[in-house]
Amino acid sequence: MSWSFDAPLRTLSDKPTTDYNEKLWEAEDLGGITEDNNAVPAPVVWLVLLTVITAFAITFPLWGQRPTAALYQSYVDSMDKPEVLAAKDDADAMAKIVAMNKGTSKDALLERHPLTMDDLRMIRDQIKALEAKGVDMRDYTVVGDQVVLANFEGNYRPDGTRIRQQPWWDKGYTIDIFYLSYFFLAVFLMIKRLPPTSWQPVHGKH
Amino acid sequence: MLKYLFYKGEDIPSGTAAVYFGFSAITWFVIGTGLGAFNAAKLAFPDFVTGLEFVSFGHMRQVHVHAVIFGWISMAFAMAMMYITPALGNTKLWSEKLGIWNAFLWNVGLSLGLTLIWSGMTSGREYSDFPWFIDLYIAAFIAFPLGLNVWMTIIHRRTQGIYTTNWFFGAATFMLIIVFIVGNLPEFFHLTGLTEAYLTWWFAHNVLGLWITPVAAAIAYYTIPKVTGNPLYSHRIGHLHFWSVVVFYSTPAAHHLMSAPLPEWLKSFASVEGVLILVPAIAFVSNILLTMQGKWNLFVENLEVRFTVTGCLMAIPLNMQGGFQQTRAINWYIHGTGWIVAHAHLALLGFSTFLEAAAVYLGLQTIMKRKLYSLTLGNIHFWLLLIGFTTYWVSMTIAGLIQGAGKIYEVPYIDVVMAEHPYMIARWIGGSLVFTGNCFWLYNMWMTAREGTVVPEGRMPHELAYER
Repeated sequence: MSWSFDAPLRTLSDKPTTDYNEKLWEAEDLGGITEDNNAVPAPVVWLVLLTVITAFAITFPLWGQRPTAALYQSYVDSMDKPEVLAAKDDADAMAKIVAMNKGTSKDALLERHPLTMDDLRMIRDQIKALEAKGVDMRDYTVVGDQVVLANFEGNYRPDGTRIRQQPWWDKGYTIDIFYLSYFFLAVFLMIKRLPPTSWQPVHGKH
Repeated sequence: MLKYLFYKGEDIPSGTAAVYFGFSAITWFVIGTGLGAFNAAKLAFPDFVTGLEFVSFGHMRQVHVHAVIFGWISMAFAMAMMYITPALGNTKLWSEKLGIWNAFLWNVGLSLGLTLIWSGMTSGREYSDFPWFIDLYIAAFIAFPLGLNVWMTIIHRRTQGIYTTNWFFGAATFMLIIVFIVGNLPEFFHLTGLTEAYLTWWFAHNVLGLWITPVAAAIAYYTIPKVTGNPLYSHRIGHLHFWSVVVFYSTPAAHHLMSAPLPEWLKSFASVEGVLILVPAIAFVSNILLTMQGKWNLFVENLEVRFTVTGCLMAIPLNMQGGFQQTRAINWYIHGTGWIVAHAHLALLGFSTFLEAAAVYLGLQTIMKRKLYSLTLGNIHFWLLLIGFTTYWVSMTIAGLIQGAGKIYEVPYIDVVMAEHPYMIARWIGGSLVFTGNCFWLYNMWMTAREGTVVPEGRMPHELAYER
């Protein structure tokens, strides 16, 4: 069971180990079932690689988050505009607020998290109070009629408060990288201990 | 079979436990899908059987779910383990009597558990609805004896190596016990809140990921080489498959709770792992399909191969859905909708059922040494199952997308219900087709036992021509 590192991409076993394994492989009948020694096909390797890249790329926290208090600051400010106050009903007022806040980087998120005038009335005072405190509004999320401190475990600011904003990368991804690395290393070592793929068993030979 | 429970001799016929498990599994499949079709009828026709509490949807849904998971699927797995594990080790089952007792206690415990949840005594935790003492019963009298028999059979094998299927069987039985004990800790120690939620989904995810998915795949690793006579294409891909199931399938439980106040890093970690379930899927599908080289005629001609390859092909949409629907990008839309119900049926009624049905067909014929009574009934079963399942899956997927749109755009609930109604009827039709097919199957296997053509010693059933 000795290791050989002469040609690690070919096999990691020394010759006696490989000879022993080949003989056993050809002799063994597992209930009438045999196995071949084909390499993991290149398309499978590429698909696995593509899966790993996709897994990180698609799970970055770009979408699906709760709206932050910062998202609705401009809506709340717009509530006091004369044209909104002059609207004939709530639906008209909301349409005006939405129209006058179009064209910013928040468009997609505002479309994702639409509000009614009633919703705005419920969060207005809470958002104003937070503005008065001078906090970073991105640290707060809007959950129904409540504006609450977000539960993200961000890093500390110099003043000791936590950054409660969803980062594009967090330690979950770092753990994943280590976890994946261990996995692929272990599987690589395991399959490279087998006889090289240039050899195929002749079943029932021994 | 029951006469062997207290039998003193050593000459219990090999395969008795497997036959007991096999017929139990088919019977539970008929019961489980019958309940499913009944429940679907209640959703399609709201006035169907009302006024009786014990047949209300809320009481019966869990009974359906647990009958098919712990009755049909798990007993079919046990059946496969009872005959495949010793066959692959060129030996006999470690204890045929333990297997028979295992099957007997399994039926008793499951009947008791289903009666309790039907009567309303439930933990209220999805997929682990059984009360805590039934959970302990399952761990002690169902999962552990099964595992013991499998492990001891592997230890006493007459081969030097262990074939891929038996890696999965040995590991999955061990993992099932751990999943049952740890996943049900909230019931044993009254854990509440987020801990309970997390462990509920840790349990539910791992019953799927560490029990149903790997064992179903392991069965295909046996069925295809056995029936086609081809060697398994690649031992190496088998390694990639096995270890990626253990590593990637055991970790993504948090992706079931993407909107819960769990630590975000845990969700990020789980979400990446969730996509990586595609790794074992790629390995499994490629290995099985490459093993079929030169024998694709059997996909048409042989019932067991047709079931297995169909189940194997279903692993592709299953894992594409499963891998991506849990990401933040998609989960917000389809979470809590019929899409998930469709996906669960793709896993359990599609992928897994087709693979284990092949094992039960092959196993019962092999052990009883009887050729299948009627190929026509077998074909009818296959097509009713496939058409019924597909109808169900497509209709519920569409219904889920409608629900998702309704949820996001705050459409009044009753409008969503009305929009979904045609798909609920399609769901009922699909479920009823599956149930009907299973009734044919039970009859066919019963007649196989009674009147199937005797298979000569040393021959396999699939080597003989059908007579009907």
